[in-house]
Amino acid sequence: MQELFRPRDLSEALAILAARSEVRPAAGCTDLFPATAAPALQGAHIDLTALEELSGISRTPEGFRVGAATTWREAIEADLPPAFEMLKEAAREVGSPQIQNAGTIGGNLCNASPAADGVPCLLALDAQVELASAEGRRMLPLGKFITGPRQTALGPGELLVAVHVPGEAARGASRFLKLGARRYLVISIAMVAVRLVVEEGRVASAAVAVGACSPVARRLEAVEAALVGAEATPALAARVRAADVAAALSPIDDVRADAGYRLEAAAVLVRRAVSELVTHAGECAA
Amino acid sequence: MAQVSMTVNGKPVTGEVEGRTLLVDFLRNGLGLTGTHVGCDTSQCGACVVHVDGRAVKSCTMLALEAEGAEVKTIEGMANPDGSLSVIQQAFQDHHGLQCGFCTPGMVMSAAALLAENPKPTEAEIRHYLDGNLCRCTGYHNIVKAILAASGQDVSIAAE
Ligand SMILES: Cc1cc2nc3c(=O)[nH]c(=O)nc-3n(C[C@H](O)[C@H](O)[C@H](O)COP(=O)(O)OP(=O)(O)OC[C@H]3O[C@@H](n4cnc5c(N)ncnc54)[C@H](O)[C@@H]3O)c2cc1C
Ligand code: FES
Ligand code: FES
Repeated sequence: MQELFRPRDLSEALAILAARSEVRPAAGCTDLFPATAAPALQGAHIDLTALEELSGISRTPEGFRVGAATTWREAIEADLPPAFEMLKEAAREVGSPQIQNAGTIGGNLCNASPAADGVPCLLALDAQVELASAEGRRMLPLGKFITGPRQTALGPGELLVAVHVPGEAARGASRFLKLGARRYLVISIAMVAVRLVVEEGRVASAAVAVGACSPVARRLEAVEAALVGAEATPALAARVRAADVAAALSPIDDVRADAGYRLEAAAVLVRRAVSELVTHAGECAA
Repeated sequence: MAQVSMTVNGKPVTGEVEGRTLLVDFLRNGLGLTGTHVGCDTSQCGACVVHVDGRAVKSCTMLALEAEGAEVKTIEGMANPDGSLSVIQQAFQDHHGLQCGFCTPGMVMSAAALLAENPKPTEAEIRHYLDGNLCRCTGYHNIVKAILAASGQDVSIAAE
């Protein structure tokens, strides 16, 4: 790489990308470097870490805005309602502290690994992504942004600027559970993000997402439907049917686990997350 | 080539780097600070951990130009001003927290970051925090003991 751009201003960054569509974005570089087979990055890059508009988490009239270059560490330290707890739990398990200090939420989404831990959490927060290019801005639901393994809807010259969580989805309590071959520094075999809103002892709304068990992490609508309206008692977890979990997913066999194991793990993790949430039901209240 | 300026161990430094130059290469080859090691070059092992603006990062996973204007601290900046070992370094020596020493600069920098945010960590918290630092010699036990000792805690609480 002979060239590295480090603009401070988003419009400057978008102008560079408009003129030079081969220039690749680089944020925390924690996916870029390990994926580079050569001893150094190849080609021209644009470093996003100096762009103010991409940094930090803020409240907006509509909900919350998470800048694309927000690091995992910043997410852990942010003052956020309990609905975001799953995102913090995921953040605390991304790699190691040094990776959390450098890696960004936007990089996690744009890298679009099926095992990206941020994706199920943000799906369960009904996140929308804000994309910008020199032509203008657009919003997309996260589920439409990641289109396949390592594939996104980013067009030429386009950057992910922020992730937006609507106020309606910032309600309830949440839990993230990840299964790996060991406890730390591990690529997920399966991970689940569950958010429950409990009103008057019943589940008013439920968001359940599973990652690493399909080409792109998914919401499990049938599982959510089986939870809504039910009493928030320890019996709730039994409403998570293995068949509903399996129907939504299409795991692969790989070195980490076979498909059958992944499905079973996903169902167990969803039940565990649900029962942990109802045990602390007070926190699930809207 | 581009110019980069930062503060390293309290001293302002400036150098010429290529866009692709890693922070660790700038420290080692540009500044001759070879205490920061490269073990894996794939962000796994933690031998290259330094502090950038007070936060522990893997310097093999950061471009030198991304540290423009930053305060960088390396293992060379850890000893006391009179040259004696810092409390953490002394504890590594006293508790045999190293054998070949290759991982040690990164271990010390991670330990310092941990103790800055959590001055009295439990044994489990120490082990968790070191998940990004690999050691092939010690089996970690004496490293954990050294960090407990450096935090002023009784090392006998670490399970033998
Ligand atoms: C040791 C180690 C352990 C890890 N553990 C985990 C883990 O447990 N869970 C997990 O999910 N991940 C893990 N990762 C992967 C990685 O740390 C995360 O995915 C991280 O969030 C990536 O962010 P980044 O800023 O470093 O991305 P980068 O490497 O900078 O970028 C990744 C990709 O996204 C593109 N990109 C980045 N930002 C933007 C933007 N704003 N707009 C458009 N394109 C953009 C880049 O061009 C690149 O293609 C690990 C990595 C390492 C090295
Ligand atoms: S050399 Fe940087 S993590 Fe191994
Ligand atoms: S002391 Fe040899 S690798 Fe840790």
